[in-house]
Amino acid sequence: MSGDTITVEGTMTHSSMGMGAWALQGDKETYEVYQGKPAELQQEGLRVRVTGQVRKDVMTLAMIGPVFEVQQVETL
Amino acid sequence: MQWQWGKWQWGILFLIGLGWAMSTMGGGRPVYDGLILDFRDDLPQAQIERQLASLGLSAQPNSPFSAAEQTYVLAGDRRQLKQLRRSDLKALTEAIEPNYVYSAATAPNDPDYPQQWNFRSINVEQAWDSTHGEGVTVAVIDTGITPVKDLGQTKIVKGYNFVDNSRDTSDDSGHGTHIAGTIAQSTNNGYGVAGIAHGAALMPLKVLGASGSGTVVDIAEAIRYAADQGADVINMSLGGMGDSAVLSQAIDYAHSKGVVMVAAAGNAGENAAAYPARYGHVIAVSATDATDTKAPYSNYGAGVNIAAPGGSLGEAQTGGILQDTIVPDKGTSELRSLQGTSMATAHVTGVAALVLSSGIDDPDEVAQVLYQSSRMSRTDELNYLGAGHLDAAAAVKLAQVGQISPRDFFRWLNRNGYLNLRFWFDGGVVALLPKVGMVLGSYLLAWLLRTYLPMGWAWNGWLTSGLMVGSAGAFLLRGLYVFDLPQWPMRVMGSSIPELGTAIGASGVLNPITASALIPLGLLSLLLSHHTLKWFAMGSTLGVASCLAISAVLSPTLLWLGGGAIASIFLLANAGCCLALAYLALKTEAAR
Repeated sequence: MSGDTITVEGTMTHSSMGMGAWALQGDKETYEVYQGKPAELQQEGLRVRVTGQVRKDVMTLAMIGPVFEVQQVETL
Repeated sequence: MQWQWGKWQWGILFLIGLGWAMSTMGGGRPVYDGLILDFRDDLPQAQIERQLASLGLSAQPNSPFSAAEQTYVLAGDRRQLKQLRRSDLKALTEAIEPNYVYSAATAPNDPDYPQQWNFRSINVEQAWDSTHGEGVTVAVIDTGITPVKDLGQTKIVKGYNFVDNSRDTSDDSGHGTHIAGTIAQSTNNGYGVAGIAHGAALMPLKVLGASGSGTVVDIAEAIRYAADQGADVINMSLGGMGDSAVLSQAIDYAHSKGVVMVAAAGNAGENAAAYPARYGHVIAVSATDATDTKAPYSNYGAGVNIAAPGGSLGEAQTGGILQDTIVPDKGTSELRSLQGTSMATAHVTGVAALVLSSGIDDPDEVAQVLYQSSRMSRTDELNYLGAGHLDAAAAVKLAQVGQISPRDFFRWLNRNGYLNLRFWFDGGVVALLPKVGMVLGSYLLAWLLRTYLPMGWAWNGWLTSGLMVGSAGAFLLRGLYVFDLPQWPMRVMGSSIPELGTAIGASGVLNPITASALIPLGLLSLLLSHHTLKWFAMGSTLGVASCLAISAVLSPTLLWLGGGAIASIFLLANAGCCLALAYLALKTEAAR
């Protein structure tokens, strides 16, 4: 059910929806970072380029955008 | 004859006595505690304070949430009410009225209940006079439920943990327990807060892990489990963007077994509900804040069925939904304020349980009761609220009366829209009666003019399309939403000429440039010399006249000019101008 591998550039922000979740704000879309992992992403305002997959088979309680499972992180 | 007259005398005396007795009965007049001043929203606060000071009035904002509506309360009696209504304040206010005291006989003794503004928003106390959801089982598909202290008197039946495939359904996040609290927190137990359907039983089904995410396969299996184990309602305060056949089939299965399903519209602030809220047979819930407006994060538009309080924490971290929940790190519980369409969903689930407990058992009828009893908003141009604001008291009342109207045209459209998932129609958004009135009005004007000036008329397709475009446009399109697409093209196509000026902004007010005789004047001067298009110009002029005249009597609001008498006079004057233009154009035509 997972999509193709994509690369997204954006800024990390913490959302207070539900119990709280980490969001990756890209230019076109805001993604919910799957399980907030890896932990190095959990910094407010961090600029990153991440590679991974949109998990269409996953649902969440925060519901702030498509769920993005991060595989690689590059800090900008 | 003498005896007969005596009988009449007795009769009259009896009626006078009865009237006197009724007029002196205590319950005849509602009790009120002081007065309410609802100032115009456009007035600066400083001006209001100055005006109050100049009249020597010590009025206070009613609550921290009164700022938007500028609602003040002050001490006062019937005499002062009359004086204020005759004072200078009249021009500055939208309403000056008594602050009626609503009976709080059913307010529970839970000490933090007064903080549950959300329960007052949905009128739950009057519903509790009839039912607490007894005999209903609510499945909560979430992060699990931990039986915290304020769930001590709540019945919790056996559930299942689909994450670890075990019987341990305790909550390692705090979300599921909070949701369970809104639905059925132990109430009148002298501790914590209240729950909507506290007589109902909860069935914990854990599909989300501590991180707050889970797979559609687990969710689908949980739905089937709930249906097989006798759940009457399923709460799904979760969502995602992936359409799944497995999930959709599970929902159809649960629906066929008579289960009501409620899900969150999502928190991305986008136009279109997330899955599974998007599926037919699932009630999709958007979130409102303490001022009854859409919470900023809530999804809206396509797919949204109804709105309920989800709270909005804001910077001050107030205005959320308060329930008792687990703190996983500490292993203790606390009253925690959360926000989201998750919380809003739990309100609708709770009220659905109250409706089920009142004797309605078909899931479609439960949904209809919830929609029909909701408080409709007059201005919901972008379908923020679906059918309207959830109202527990009205829902229970309607369920008890059992007055379910037959499936109407809009319901049919609604359902078919869900089935193919390509579009979604909200009939409530288009106020049909005024639109039909505008079309009929334009035809009536054309008919009258033809009677008065019978020469040179051509009742053709150009004239009738002009009448339609000028008066109402293809107005049904205004209620049409296509999933994940902007709605403004539908609004533009569905707008009459006077509505065009504000069609893209979806504000519901009229723009005085388009809602005037200007466009008809332009059309007539451009097209009057053309042998067929002139009839379109003529028709649209009469259509605009009808639209403006009917808008003028329907408490209109205009950009820059505001509402009230000014707006009505402006619109009526322009309607008159349009009629005069059409008359002159026809006279010229007749003279040829």
